[in-house]
Amino acid sequence: MYMASNSNGNRGQHWEAQLRKGSLEMAILASLWQSRLYGLEILRSLSEKSQLDVAEGTLYPILSRLKAEGLLQSEWVEAEAGHPRKYYWLTAPGRRRAREMAEAWQTFAASLAALVQPVLGGKR
Amino acid sequence: MTSIAPLTDSRIENYLSRLAAALAGVASEQRDEIVREIRAHILDSMSGASDPPGAVDRVLRLLGTPEELANRYATESLLTRAGSSFSPWLLLRTSWRWAKLGITGTTAFFLALIGYGAALGLTVAVFVKPFMPSRVGMWVGHGNLNVGILPANPEGAHEVLGRWFVPVIAVVAFAFAVGTTHALRWLIRRRSPNPAYQMPHATVSGAAQI
Repeated sequence: MYMASNSNGNRGQHWEAQLRKGSLEMAILASLWQSRLYGLEILRSLSEKSQLDVAEGTLYPILSRLKAEGLLQSEWVEAEAGHPRKYYWLTAPGRRRAREMAEAWQTFAASLAALVQPVLGGKR
Repeated sequence: MTSIAPLTDSRIENYLSRLAAALAGVASEQRDEIVREIRAHILDSMSGASDPPGAVDRVLRLLGTPEELANRYATESLLTRAGSSFSPWLLLRTSWRWAKLGITGTTAFFLALIGYGAALGLTVAVFVKPFMPSRVGMWVGHGNLNVGILPANPEGAHEVLGRWFVPVIAVVAFAFAVGTTHALRWLIRRRSPNPAYQMPHATVSGAAQI
């Protein structure tokens, strides 16, 4: 949830939150592109690389659904921490989905970039 | 395992047992798996914390209450199944759960209620018609349209379908059921990957919190 923290107020931030939310599934799949990660690593990777602050209570149910949909696979691995961790990786359909989403995202972002150029004009 | 003070430990165990209880509807194998994963998450989040009670507060707050967390799991899994289902019962149950999470869900639920309600009501009328031919029908008059089972003929209105009532209304009822099913599936499938989930506890200033 959002707290208004600047003059844009709730409205502007709400819009931005919606945009980020819509990209969450793609971000989760993309974070697993290079290596197997467990839940907390996915959260940290998202917040470091993309400033996506995903609530824990949101991530785990989505991971569970992505696995049920066959996009992810998981395995318990014993760790030196003393408790096992559940690692996730992309299945072949998961990699395909990640690529499709990334391509769609690129196309979308590129087409919007040209449109917003004049809006940002003075600033850049 | 890093040593955790007994009090902190019991707070974690308490959270996990409430989670397990709230996941009662989930198959036991999957429930154990979820609880195990959340336990690992809590312990990992706390490792190296200088202030374990503070750290446990923080991580449990970010997870939401056990009931909220369980509800998110249930909704995600129902939405997955319902998106490819034609079962009115599953679609109705799913939209009921979904309704608690946001406006699209609420819309879906009312759509399900009205659509399936109309289909059911009309179907009952079709079956009752042969037994009470004069009480069941479609009456038009005074700008009103009454379809169904009435205790008495509406004043000044006349029944328009006659013996066509059964076939016509059966088709209309069927159309309501099929139309509602398709509309619900469409709503469920077009939902954003992460439906209107808002963590009620986690408020962050200046950065987006999902």
